[in-house]
Amino acid sequence: MKIRPSQHFTFLLILIASSLHAQEHSDVTLDEATGLAIMQEVYSRHQQFAFIYEEQSMVMTDRNGDRDTRKVRRYSRVEDDGTVKFLLLFDSPDEINGVALLANRDASGKTNKYIYLPAFGEQLIENVSSGRDGNFLGTDFSIESLTGEVLDDYIYIRRPDKKTVEVAYFVIDVYQNEEGLSADTLVADKQANRRHFISKYNLYISKTEYFDKQGRVYKRLSHHDLKPVDGKMWRADMILMEDIKEHHQSLIKISRRVFSRDYVAAEIFTADWLFKNSPFISRPDIDNEEIHSEDEGATEMLNEQNNSSANLELEFTQ
Amino acid sequence: MIIKMFLVGLNHRAAVTLFLVATTLLAAIGLPKLDVDTGMDSLIPANDPGRLIYQTVIGEFGSDNKTIIYIKDDDLWTPEKLAILERLHGNIEHIENVVSVDSLFNLHTIHGKDGKIESLPVLSEAPATVEEALAAKKRALANPLFIGNYFSDDGDVMAMIVSVMNIEDDRDFNRKIFTELESLISADRDKFESLIQVGPPRINTELENRLFDDFKLLGPLSAFILFISILFFMRSTLSAIIPVVTSALTVIWTFGMLGWVGIPLNILSAMLPSLIIVIGSTEDTHMMAAYFRGLQTTDGGSRDKAIDYMARHIGLPLVLAVLTTALGFSSNMFSSIGLIQQFAFASTFAMLANGIITILVVPLLLSIYGPGKNPNFGDDKGPNRLSDRILKVFRYSQDNYPISVLMFTAVMCLFFIYHASKLYVTNDPLSYIPSDSVLIKDTKRIHDDLAGIKIFFITLDSNKENAFQHPVNIHKLAEIQGFMEKQGVFDRSMSLADHLAFANREFRGEYAELALPETRQLVAQYLMFFHRSDLDSYVSHDYSRANIVVRHNINDSHTLNNYINELQEVIEDIAGPGMKANIVSENLMVNQAADSLMVAQVKALVILLVLIFLIMSAMFTSFRGGAIAMVPAIIPIAMMFGVMGYLDIPLNPGTAMVAVIAIGIAIDGTIHLLARYNELCRHTSDYVGAVHVAVKEEAMPIIVSSIALSFGFGILLFSNFTVVAQFGALAAATMLFSIYANLLITPIIMTRVRLVGLYQIIGMSIDKKVLEDSPLFQNMTNYQRRKAVLISELSECEEGDLLVEQGTIGRDMYLILSGEAEVIRHDGNGESHKLATLLPGSIFGEIGYIRETERTADVKALSKISALRFDYERMQKDLKFFPQIVAKLNFNISYILGERLADMVSQAKGHTGD
Repeated sequence: MKIRPSQHFTFLLILIASSLHAQEHSDVTLDEATGLAIMQEVYSRHQQFAFIYEEQSMVMTDRNGDRDTRKVRRYSRVEDDGTVKFLLLFDSPDEINGVALLANRDASGKTNKYIYLPAFGEQLIENVSSGRDGNFLGTDFSIESLTGEVLDDYIYIRRPDKKTVEVAYFVIDVYQNEEGLSADTLVADKQANRRHFISKYNLYISKTEYFDKQGRVYKRLSHHDLKPVDGKMWRADMILMEDIKEHHQSLIKISRRVFSRDYVAAEIFTADWLFKNSPFISRPDIDNEEIHSEDEGATEMLNEQNNSSANLELEFTQ
Repeated sequence: MIIKMFLVGLNHRAAVTLFLVATTLLAAIGLPKLDVDTGMDSLIPANDPGRLIYQTVIGEFGSDNKTIIYIKDDDLWTPEKLAILERLHGNIEHIENVVSVDSLFNLHTIHGKDGKIESLPVLSEAPATVEEALAAKKRALANPLFIGNYFSDDGDVMAMIVSVMNIEDDRDFNRKIFTELESLISADRDKFESLIQVGPPRINTELENRLFDDFKLLGPLSAFILFISILFFMRSTLSAIIPVVTSALTVIWTFGMLGWVGIPLNILSAMLPSLIIVIGSTEDTHMMAAYFRGLQTTDGGSRDKAIDYMARHIGLPLVLAVLTTALGFSSNMFSSIGLIQQFAFASTFAMLANGIITILVVPLLLSIYGPGKNPNFGDDKGPNRLSDRILKVFRYSQDNYPISVLMFTAVMCLFFIYHASKLYVTNDPLSYIPSDSVLIKDTKRIHDDLAGIKIFFITLDSNKENAFQHPVNIHKLAEIQGFMEKQGVFDRSMSLADHLAFANREFRGEYAELALPETRQLVAQYLMFFHRSDLDSYVSHDYSRANIVVRHNINDSHTLNNYINELQEVIEDIAGPGMKANIVSENLMVNQAADSLMVAQVKALVILLVLIFLIMSAMFTSFRGGAIAMVPAIIPIAMMFGVMGYLDIPLNPGTAMVAVIAIGIAIDGTIHLLARYNELCRHTSDYVGAVHVAVKEEAMPIIVSSIALSFGFGILLFSNFTVVAQFGALAAATMLFSIYANLLITPIIMTRVRLVGLYQIIGMSIDKKVLEDSPLFQNMTNYQRRKAVLISELSECEEGDLLVEQGTIGRDMYLILSGEAEVIRHDGNGESHKLATLLPGSIFGEIGYIRETERTADVKALSKISALRFDYERMQKDLKFFPQIVAKLNFNISYILGERLADMVSQAKGHTGD
């Protein structure tokens, strides 16, 4: 079907109208909502597609401004029983080609993670690191920051909304759910683990700030290049995690995203598939090839993102 | 001119006072501008090529300005204590200019077991239970990378490592960091068995505090001791007050100038007030001694005449002494070490300023307050008796065993030179602080429980991307570390190899020992389990350069440099061609500056000795004179270096300066001694007697000033800095050695020489025409005539005095400079016949001079006569000292005699003809 120019305008008007309606709708329904209710709405609206394949560039910048780029494929699949399977497969640099992180999260939220290092041997090594604390595979992201929170594990307290010139946000403080603790019993001076800033416009978590015990922000996660992908469901094409203490950051840029069962076959999430596609490297290392350390496209993206990140920060501080 | 300069204070009191007040006020305005610099930078030679490499390395691998916060407690691993430390960690992170804080709260470790791997922080937050705390302890102690760096073997000690960077080059940077850290630490100090910080900020602050304490103590103490000792020796309150006044003015001028010019105070500046007071006082003492001698010598003992006497007799030697002292200090000015250079500049200015102030102030004060009589001379009690006793012993030795004394001294010098060969150099800043200080004890504690606080980096640069992902190159790092273990002197080293070996062990589980991964892929894949910030200090971003961080506690540059040199050779060998290997750190550059310190010391010493030799040779118009002047300088220095070698005192920025400064000071006494000896020689042909008199007269000022200097330098033993205390002790000993050299050795040599001072030649006031017209001085230059005059003995006669008596045997020849005399011959009948009248320029007695024979006539003064007496024996002695002059004189005498003979022959012919 060919769309005429006049139809473009009509289509745009419809989109704007529907967006305004959506915003108005969310404001109305969630104005008095609790933190948990808002989070539930966020997750229900943006819950994962069952089958997602993504091609990503991961750019890590250290305190000196030096960058490392990795090419990654991400596979995720939700089974009928609610189990979420997740595979992150590294394609480049060459030395880490085939390195994989395989995670399974069952319906109860229990997550098992495995690592495959082709140079180590054909075996999956169970990674028993806590998802909350650890950065994974040298990035500033934790696995949880990429796969999403298990809502039952936390207590969500709504704080006064925040409004910038362009966007209004729900502000939700997140506390670890400990035994005997609830939203009602939470002491006023207890420090939140993190704070979500959720856009009222699309109910997407635009930014998350991580606090230390003194209440100082030590990490910041922000989502950019947000696009609606299916009705009210939005996706970010760029995710930035900044480590404020250590002065480094990691950026994920999604260059291709496909929602298709065909791309994420069940066998992909198995050891055999990994061993077959990235076999054990047994030869002694004698070569000394240079690795392409910089991805030009990703660098440009990062520079742009740094600027937009700065703008975003400005918005929040206004 | 010099005499006029000395009399300015006497003749222009108001103008001099005004000048002094105005200059002092101007200088005082500069005082608030004074800055303090106890940083390490001034200890590193400006031209050190390592600076650039060092800057590159710290830019890439992080600052080596790391403070270690040492925490010790038997119950360290409890929720309460860890909660305090977590808060402390967080608060420190927020201090301005703190780049990073590393402690158990942000250390990550890897733990592998039964096919499972865990990458986790040692402790992400303070634990809620004891079990959690103990689990964290177990994690911490299981990681070999942490032991020695962050935790002791038993876990009772842990460290927080705080890295700071002085981005804005703030001079107060270290004090600010130290103060802020201290305020945080001190709040929790009582909760732990020990909670202390040690690092460059504390060391610098400690050095600064000690510098201020030294200023408060040493200057006033020096002034007090000086006052008392001069009062004791000179028995004159004014003699004791004057040096205090001149020193006070010099201190204001010097520090004011430093403020204006922008030269900061450093560790060595602490001794500057003491040096000014002590060294400056020597000239005051010589001037006062001359003044008192003037009171005795001049008629009526008036102040003005005594001041005039003082100016005439010690003017030039004093100026020369000031210059040689300043020269001693200035010889360090070309040192490449900023600390020494700045001190050399300040001290040279101080010595010159003190000279000017002394020349202006002493005559001024004496003209107003000067005593009318000598309080001391002629007294056989107290100090005179002391100096007499010393002299008695010395004179006995000089007169009876001169060769033995010289031999003994030579053997003694050889003994000291042998011990001096054991001298070693050190420049470590921590060695400046006494070993019993709290800081040094704290440093030692950290070294004992963890690893030394001193850091250096070994960097390998392959110039090839990813080179250090290659196992071959990683093995090189391990090999270097293996060699350091064999050396056994460094506490701890850490590199990328350690991280990879640890990761390999944890992944493989069954490995008992650390082994490196075999393939480049495995290296790269293990590296994914480290965050970039974990590796920042060990490998460059592109893996082309690697860094080994080494901690140690070696305080002696000599030892450290030897090991570093050995290490450098080995790492170059291990690195192989195509890979650059460097060992750098600020501390290392400071220690390596010790070598340039030694070179600079030798250079300064040689230059100074050559300069003094040339100056003294010119001063006494003889290379022998120059050589003699060197004796009292060299002997004490040889002794001093010997003592240093014997007592294991290292050459450091403090002790390195003793030699040149001591030479500059010791030469003062020699100059005064030689000048006095020369003056006396003008009136006597008894050189031995002249030496005795000169020594007797100069002994007291030499002994007084040397002992006062010893006391003054000895005060530096109270300094808070080891280097300053060692300087003080050695300088004090050297001053005492200089008494031995000046009063025992120099006189023995002096009796064997005859010198003429250039200043005497220039300053001589004789009718030029008389000399030019005299046949005795024909075909001689004006300079030679004047020198010849000074070789002779000046004879003064009153009207009616007999210069030559008929019938006596004499071997003197005379040249009349002024006045008239008549020649009278007595015949056998008792009649006298006037043969001639002698006018200025006339010569008589030349026959007796050539041949020992009876005088044939009297020569009687018709008026007051001033004549030069040429004694045959003295001239024979002087032939070896002044061969050219004496030869010319002898030739001229021959010519005169020849003329006489010709006259007699022609007269005889005339008679015959008649």
